[in-house]
Amino acid sequence: MSTDPGKQLPLDLPHRPALSREDFLVTPANAEAVVWLDCWPRWPGPALALHGPRGCGKTHLAHVFAARSGAAILRAEELPDEDIPYLLDHHRALVVEGADRLVPDPEVEQALFHAWNLVKDAQRHILLTGEEPPARWKVDLPDLRSRLSTAQTAAIAAPDDILMEAVLVKLFIDRQLRVGPDVIGFLLRHMERSFAAARRVVAAADTMSLAERRHITVRFIAKVLDAQNRDGSAKP
Amino acid sequence: MSTGSMDAAIAAQWDRVQGQLREEFGDAAFKSWVAPMTVTDVRDGAVTLAVPTRFIRDWVLTHYADRIRALWNGENPAVRTVDVMVVTNMQRPDLTGGGPAAAAVNDPVPGSPRAAAMESGRRTEAAAAGRAGTPASAAAPVPAHGGFMAAAPTGQVDDLSASLDARYTFENFVVGKPNEFAHAAAQRVADSDQVSFNPLFLYGGVGLGKTHLMHAIAHRLRERRPERRVIYMSAEKFMYSFVRALRHQDTISFKEQFRTVDVLMIDDVQFISGKDSTQEEFFHTFNALVDQGRQIVISADKSPNDLEEIGARLRSRMASGLVADIHPTTYELRLGILDAKAEQMGVEVPVKVKEFLAHKITSNARELEGALTRLVAHAQLVGRELSLETAHDVLADLLRAYDRRVTIEEIQKKVAEHFQVRVADMHSARRARAVTRPRQVAMYLSKQLTSRSLPEIGRKFGGRDHTTVMHAVKKVEELIAGDAAFAEDVNLLRRMLES
Repeated sequence: MSTDPGKQLPLDLPHRPALSREDFLVTPANAEAVVWLDCWPRWPGPALALHGPRGCGKTHLAHVFAARSGAAILRAEELPDEDIPYLLDHHRALVVEGADRLVPDPEVEQALFHAWNLVKDAQRHILLTGEEPPARWKVDLPDLRSRLSTAQTAAIAAPDDILMEAVLVKLFIDRQLRVGPDVIGFLLRHMERSFAAARRVVAAADTMSLAERRHITVRFIAKVLDAQNRDGSAKP
Repeated sequence: MSTGSMDAAIAAQWDRVQGQLREEFGDAAFKSWVAPMTVTDVRDGAVTLAVPTRFIRDWVLTHYADRIRALWNGENPAVRTVDVMVVTNMQRPDLTGGGPAAAAVNDPVPGSPRAAAMESGRRTEAAAAGRAGTPASAAAPVPAHGGFMAAAPTGQVDDLSASLDARYTFENFVVGKPNEFAHAAAQRVADSDQVSFNPLFLYGGVGLGKTHLMHAIAHRLRERRPERRVIYMSAEKFMYSFVRALRHQDTISFKEQFRTVDVLMIDDVQFISGKDSTQEEFFHTFNALVDQGRQIVISADKSPNDLEEIGARLRSRMASGLVADIHPTTYELRLGILDAKAEQMGVEVPVKVKEFLAHKITSNARELEGALTRLVAHAQLVGRELSLETAHDVLADLLRAYDRRVTIEEIQKKVAEHFQVRVADMHSARRARAVTRPRQVAMYLSKQLTSRSLPEIGRKFGGRDHTTVMHAVKKVEELIAGDAAFAEDVNLLRRMLES
């Protein structure tokens, strides 16, 4: 970015995304996942895997689920250091986030394997999240691989228009940015339709509007999109 | 709250207000923001609208509330304010595109132990959903009993023992050439009162039925000789318990627990590998029990001699009884397993589907059963038929290593082939119906199957404007809604592109 005089240098303030069920919009793209979570504890097995592209709301749903079930939320890489039997004494379910990318570490694999068995044994449940379904995760431990492939899967699909619109609105509201329906409409027609692109464009709009001290209008957002396309930042 | 006749009047007012909003703000905005609202209350000149999420509320309050108030005031001058409140769960996801198929899934299975264990919070939620007017009793594909939730494991008889899976009995074990020896040995242990071989060492690859046989032994023994103390535990559980005892300096009571065991079964003993103190403890427990004439059953993924990380003493001790291996499944055994599993679940699975699964999922019995469970659960959840097509969709992750990313070029090519026009016509300026319709279908599919922006799709179709793409999408959607044959055509194309 150039350093125009008079341009404010925006701090990248962490914004806290709203993560309750009230903030989650159910559309055909994520309906199946929501129903599976609502079904708990009547799952067909000990595990459910929630998978979908980045930014599609997996973490959001996992938190909604945890709030309802009292599940403990862990990241996969934390598993080897956790006392799983203790957690299972105190929680009716576990959520393991980002379970797909961290698995090719033998220690994490073993820990996940043991956690799975303990969960099953204690008649608890485990919710796994990742971008791909578990049968496609790269796992070396055959015992774990074969268990993972039996997990019920719930896919969150690429966003449909309704979800895309809601996601954009939510992202703007999370950052306390006020935009009109015309801005959302413009984005829907002109941007790449993915969760990741929605995040990028809202973040960029936030930064640029802070720096230039301007409101987010259709003209402004068109400029943001343009700048992104020029940067070639439309990569996945 | 209002009387019945007032309700009808209010409903009519709301209907007209909605109609106005639709006209003023357009279809898309209407579907996203106006349609999800329901009137919950009208009193003292205040209308209360319920929305499913907080951000819809914020959005509606900022952008539509004033207009709603003005319109409603025009309908009914008594109305002066509009409130918007959040009612979670009021909106049931619609999986089939038809009715609220999934609604009833929320209701716990009557009488099941899990249902009884559910927090009362669930009921309040269901009640809230009911209040918001969700047709909860609409045709639900999930049967009230059985369903996809398998029988809960039987309760623990012994603190030390892991719970047993009620489904893992000898009756449910499908015997075939690959596992008949191990099966016979396990039955012998379960049915005789003398120790004939000690230990019984079962081994085989993952998911072939070692755990099933061990649970079956325990079930049979508990049924036949309830006074005998049978302990089944995984090696890692043994390990955890021992490490815990060490930490609490309580190894004596740990040892005590095992002294009175009549039958000890340790599953997946390979996970004790490499942990010296645990191995040592296990070795002592093992010896003590064998010396007292108690039965031991062990399972592992390899034969005793191949368990390289286990000390030589323990290895030779484990190999000193009967070593029975389980071989990978054959096609016939896999079919048998599927038959048995389907019967257990109480579902009719078409032969074609079973043959397909037995043919495709060859790795092991666990994955095969898992695949069938997933398929049935999914089909019941969304109310789909158990067909080959459903199997392809639901088990895509098992059947293919990755999903294909469809490109606009591929879409253009397939669509051109299908409608027998030239690929060049996708980019050309020709406006004959014979080429515009396929072009519109290709644009529609590009929007559905790729994440490309509309301007970008336009560019790939001979530099057309994004409004042309929007028009094409709308046109195709209309045709799909009105023409079943056309809808089938488009669906077929989509399937071909996705597989």
